[in-house]
Amino acid sequence: MNLSIQHVSKQYRGNVWALRDFTLDLRPGVLGLLGPNGAGKTTLMSILSTITRTTQGRVLWNDIDLARNPDAIRSVLGYLPQDFGVYPNLNAVEFLEYLAAVKGLDAATSRRRIDELLNLVNLNDVRKRPLGGYSGGMKQRIGIAQALLNDPQLLIVDEPTAGLDPEERVRFRNLLSELSGERVVILSTHIVSDVEATATDIALISGGTLVAHAAPEKLLQQVEGKVWEGVVPSNELQSIKQQYLISGTARRADGVHVRMLAPSAPSGAQPLAPTLEDAYLYCLNTHRVGAAA
Amino acid sequence: MKARVLYHLVRADFLERVRRYNFLVTLAFAVYLGYCAATGKIVVRLDEYRGVFNSAWVGCAMTLVASLFLSLIGFYIVKGSIERDQETRVGHILATTPMTKSFYTVAKMISNFAVLASMVGVIAVAAVAMQFLKAEDPHVHLWPLLSPFVLFALPSVAFTGAVAILFESIPGLRGGIGNVVYFFLWTALLAVPISSIDAAGRLNAGNYFSDFNGTVSIMGQMQEDLRAVAPDYSHGSSLTIGDTKTTKTFLWNGLHPTPTLYLSRITTLLVAVIIALIAAVFFHRFDPAQEWSLNKSRRAPPATATPATANGFANAPPQAAAALASSAHLTPLPKSKSSPFVLSRTIAAELKLMLKGHRWWWYAVAAGLFIASIASPVDASRGGVAVVALLWPILVWSQMGTREARFNTASLIFSSQRSLVRQLPAVWIAGLIVAAATNGGLAIRLLIAHDRPALAAWLACTLFIPSLALALGIWSGTSKVFEAIYTVWWYIGPAHHLPGLDFLGTSPESAEPTRYLIMGAVLLAAAYAGRRSKLAYA
Repeated sequence: MNLSIQHVSKQYRGNVWALRDFTLDLRPGVLGLLGPNGAGKTTLMSILSTITRTTQGRVLWNDIDLARNPDAIRSVLGYLPQDFGVYPNLNAVEFLEYLAAVKGLDAATSRRRIDELLNLVNLNDVRKRPLGGYSGGMKQRIGIAQALLNDPQLLIVDEPTAGLDPEERVRFRNLLSELSGERVVILSTHIVSDVEATATDIALISGGTLVAHAAPEKLLQQVEGKVWEGVVPSNELQSIKQQYLISGTARRADGVHVRMLAPSAPSGAQPLAPTLEDAYLYCLNTHRVGAAA
Repeated sequence: MKARVLYHLVRADFLERVRRYNFLVTLAFAVYLGYCAATGKIVVRLDEYRGVFNSAWVGCAMTLVASLFLSLIGFYIVKGSIERDQETRVGHILATTPMTKSFYTVAKMISNFAVLASMVGVIAVAAVAMQFLKAEDPHVHLWPLLSPFVLFALPSVAFTGAVAILFESIPGLRGGIGNVVYFFLWTALLAVPISSIDAAGRLNAGNYFSDFNGTVSIMGQMQEDLRAVAPDYSHGSSLTIGDTKTTKTFLWNGLHPTPTLYLSRITTLLVAVIIALIAAVFFHRFDPAQEWSLNKSRRAPPATATPATANGFANAPPQAAAALASSAHLTPLPKSKSSPFVLSRTIAAELKLMLKGHRWWWYAVAAGLFIASIASPVDASRGGVAVVALLWPILVWSQMGTREARFNTASLIFSSQRSLVRQLPAVWIAGLIVAAATNGGLAIRLLIAHDRPALAAWLACTLFIPSLALALGIWSGTSKVFEAIYTVWWYIGPAHHLPGLDFLGTSPESAEPTRYLIMGAVLLAAAYAGRRSKLAYA
């Protein structure tokens, strides 16, 4: 099972390049796709889910070119878009039955699957309520359920935990980890903690290009010994921000506790264990500095 | 301060609309109207007479074109401005400002007016071009040429824009029903000033004041002047498309500006503002509670349903904590082979989706029409009951091809396997089933009567309607286009048995099954091509 993204570029009207020469090879596991707003994550998701074409390059699923045979990927694809709608007059069961039919599932299988999925996303109690009356988080859970209808080998989820409460977020993370064993999962998000909890691999994307692709441990190694915490008076915070890359601040009685990224210890700072968020900021900053140079 | 807010509200809304692709389409339509009038494809006729193409005649003739067409089609063009604010969530931001409901609806009316006025402007430019093209009178007089646009076309489109806001504000008229109702309202409003013209054909104040788009006022003055110089002229007047041959001309020097005329036009503008203010009474101010109030009674969850938290999430039951800690698990699906029942399941799903949401009385009326079609004599069934039955499911058909865009489900459906060859045909067949079922009473009646030609016309009609709906839905992306075109077509064709446009074949003379079979096939191909063009990969 292999998804190969080879030198993919995507250009929109007005000479806007959302992706440039993007190459990535994926095997079963959860890939956390991290990047700032406008980095090209959603464009990449749209290409992989056959919604939009590449301008250059190609995507292969088990060596089958997506452009030649898109159904090869569609038949094994589960896709949760960042922004999607539902039919307000249908209830959860009817909506999932409809999508199961569109995806080509037979009646008996889809019935069983829908029951299981509604339990899984904790919507069993409201299964007969029209979707028009659902909250944003409940609609998001319906989106998660529809993505899993056909037992996908390739699961693409774009900002899946947006709108979910903490409990549902934990449930979804567990689900992703459980599913990742026998399929390729691509999780695109801004929420680093989601990636931290589930990803076996991380791809950092910025300005349409791949900044880094590595296991979380490898990324963390890059910032080992570069994360510090210092306490500064409030009025010195601005000057500290100009000198160092700041990954967090917290106001306390003794001053502002600043989490900084620096190659050597700033005056009076104590070393800290790095997190993935530190690694993310460090890699992006290094990439930006390199690109500017 | 308020004027500044109003200006920015109207400006932003206007710019948002004119920068959309479909504004270019509507502007192209205005250019086409102007072209048709300029090249004589649309002509104002007074029996065999027409005016010499001087500034007065050209200005008034083009104003008639603008007023008549834009007061009908303009409604469908501008309706949707409140819905857009709802969809883009801009409305929710506006709702948190001190802006009053009446301020908002008046601003929307002005914005509608601005969009339609820009189309009037295009036709006015075409009027100038027309006078040069016709070259019957080389002297261009700007006031006689352009004043009819100001006096008639602009108040007419202001009125149309206001009605569009009113319809958008009233829950029952907001959707497809409103699109159908407006056509009948428009025809009724056109008929009101005509009905009160005296036997001698002279206009009175009542005619002017009840004439919202100026058609009767302009044509009435033309007729009065023609009667004075041409004793052989009777009473006929028309705005003709296609058959534009006239044998006689007369010199018309333009409108007689009377206080009544000016006052009637100002009244039309005032009525437009009053309509916008009435709309404010019904306007929901983007309150979701009001939005759903009509449906809540039947949609309310049972009292025993899981209570929702403040943010609307269902509370997890006590055992959820255990489920949370344990691993989530899904049973793997068996490897399924391609089943011949997949298409039938998709058709059933599409049919369910189409029919879901209709109240019991919708089915009761459909069943009543079905039974009445069988029980009536053949002629009454074919030319009467079945004609009504053809209009009844219009809102079911108008969803075809538009649902994915309207509900933002395209990414879910178009990323599914074989959506082009499975989901698209399923939508068409579901529409076909609706057509066959709702108008099936006529087919049974014709079978009983062994009327094979009429049965062929019924079959062609049944294939044609879903094809038309699907093609228009896919290419326009909105249900409004089908609702408007189909209603007008239905009214002119089947309802008035007009040969060429009677797609049901309500009489032996007007039945043309071959034509509608071919058109159905062409439309189906267009629908396929349209959907294919929207998919990255077929």
